[in-house]
Amino acid sequence: MSTVSLSDVEVRVAVDGLPDPKVLLQDVTLSLTEQRIGVIGANGSGKSTLLRLLNGLVAPTGGTVTVNGSDTVRNMRAVRQQVGFVFTDPLSQLVMPTGREDVELSLRRSVRNGPERRRQADAALDRFGLLHLADQSIYELSGGERQLLALAAVLAVEPDVLVLDEPSTLLDLRNRELLRRTLAGLRQQIVMSTHDLELALDMDRVLVVESGRIAYDGGAAAAVAHYRALCANSLEVPRGRNVASSVDPSGEDAR
Amino acid sequence: MKGNGVLLANYVPGTSVIHRMPLWLKFLVVLACGMASFLIVDWRLAAAALALMCTLFLFSGAGPARLFRAVRPLLPVLLAIGLFQWWQLGAPTATRIVLNILLCVVAASLLTATTPLHRLLDGVVSLARPFQRFGADPERFALTIAIMLRSIPFIAGAFEDVRDSARARGLERNPRALVLPVFITTVAYARHTGDALAARGLGEPDD
Repeated sequence: MSTVSLSDVEVRVAVDGLPDPKVLLQDVTLSLTEQRIGVIGANGSGKSTLLRLLNGLVAPTGGTVTVNGSDTVRNMRAVRQQVGFVFTDPLSQLVMPTGREDVELSLRRSVRNGPERRRQADAALDRFGLLHLADQSIYELSGGERQLLALAAVLAVEPDVLVLDEPSTLLDLRNRELLRRTLAGLRQQIVMSTHDLELALDMDRVLVVESGRIAYDGGAAAAVAHYRALCANSLEVPRGRNVASSVDPSGEDAR
Repeated sequence: MKGNGVLLANYVPGTSVIHRMPLWLKFLVVLACGMASFLIVDWRLAAAALALMCTLFLFSGAGPARLFRAVRPLLPVLLAIGLFQWWQLGAPTATRIVLNILLCVVAASLLTATTPLHRLLDGVVSLARPFQRFGADPERFALTIAIMLRSIPFIAGAFEDVRDSARARGLERNPRALVLPVFITTVAYARHTGDALAARGLGEPDD
C-alpha cells in the first residue's frame, strides 16, 4: 500500500482587501497508509485543499507533502504518475468530445503506439461497462456515466493512489450506489472527500476537517459521530447566544 | 449549461471510403481547397467545386444535418461579407468569395467529420515533429488544438446561458450583464481545464 505523508503542512493564500493571508490549512501532520481514507467536514473547511495537496495541484506554503517518498513540489511529475485525481464535476475533468478520446488522452503520455493506446482505452472503458458509449458525446451521457468515465480516464494509467473530491455530490441515489460499488472493487489506495456520510462509513479511516485543521482522525463510525456532534454544536451556538450570551444578567453585553 | 452540448468538429463514425482515406490525403484535400479559394476566379467554377465537396460530404454518410451544422454559425458572417462585396465589386465577385469560403469550411468539416479527434491529433503531432529541433513539443501542439476545439463551443454555450438568465431578469439590453458573466465563466472554465490537465500530468513543461 502507498504512503502519503504530510508534515507540518500549512496553506495560506493572499486575499484582495485583507492585510493578512487567509489560512486554508494549518498544523496538518498525517501519515496515510490505509487503503480507504475518507475526508469529511463542512463546506469551506479545507477538505478540497487537503486533497489537492496530494496531487500537487496546491503547493503547501509550509511543510512538505510526499507520496511514496516523492515530494509533491520537487517531484511533481513522479507524484502525478502515482496519484490520480477525480473532480466533483466530471465535465470540468473530461477534456475530449467522446469517452474513448478522453481515455486515450490520459494514455497519450505513456503509450505512444496508436493502436495499442486504443486497445488499452477500450479495455479501461470496458472495465466500467462504458464501451458501448465510447463514441458518444460526453454531453449525451448521464451524470453517473460521466463520473464513471472520469474515473475510467484516471484509472487507465493505473495510478497507485486515487484522490476523489466529493465524487458523489452530483449523483442520484442509483449512481451513487454504482460509484460506491465501483470504488469498493478498486485495488488503489483511495483518499476521498465526501458529504455522503454513508459513503464515509465504508472507509477504513476518516479525517474530520474543521476550519483548516484536522479536528478528528480515527475510525469511520467515531469520526462520523464526531462530525455530527460538531454540526449539532455549530447549529446550537447561535441559538444559545441569543438566549444566554447576548443578554448578560448584569445588563452588559456578553462576549 | 444547455449550449455547451454543441461540439465543434465532432466525428461521425462510419466506414465510407472517405473515412478510410489516409489522413495525409485528407489534409491535402483541405489544403487544395484552401489554395483553390485563392485561385478560382469564376463563380461558376467555385459553385462546381463546392457542389463536389458537398457531394463528397454526403457520400461519407455524415449526413446533411452535420453539413448544415458546420455551415450554420457562419451564415450571418457570410451574408454580411456577401452584401458588402456585392456593393463594392458586384454580384459575380461576391458570389465567388462566399462560395470559396464555404468550400474551405465544408472541406475542413469533411476532415473532422470523418476523422476521430485522436487521429487528427496524431496527424498534428506528425506535422509538428520537424519543429522539435527548434524546441517545439508536438504533443503540446496537439493538446492545444484539442483544448481549442473543446473550448469554443463551451464559450458559445456560456454566452447562450448568460443571455437567457439576463433575459429572465429583464437585463437583455445591458451589455455588462451579458459580457461580465461570460468573461468570469470563461476564466473559471480555463482554470478548471488547467487543473484537470495538470492533475493528469498533461501539458507540463517536462512532458
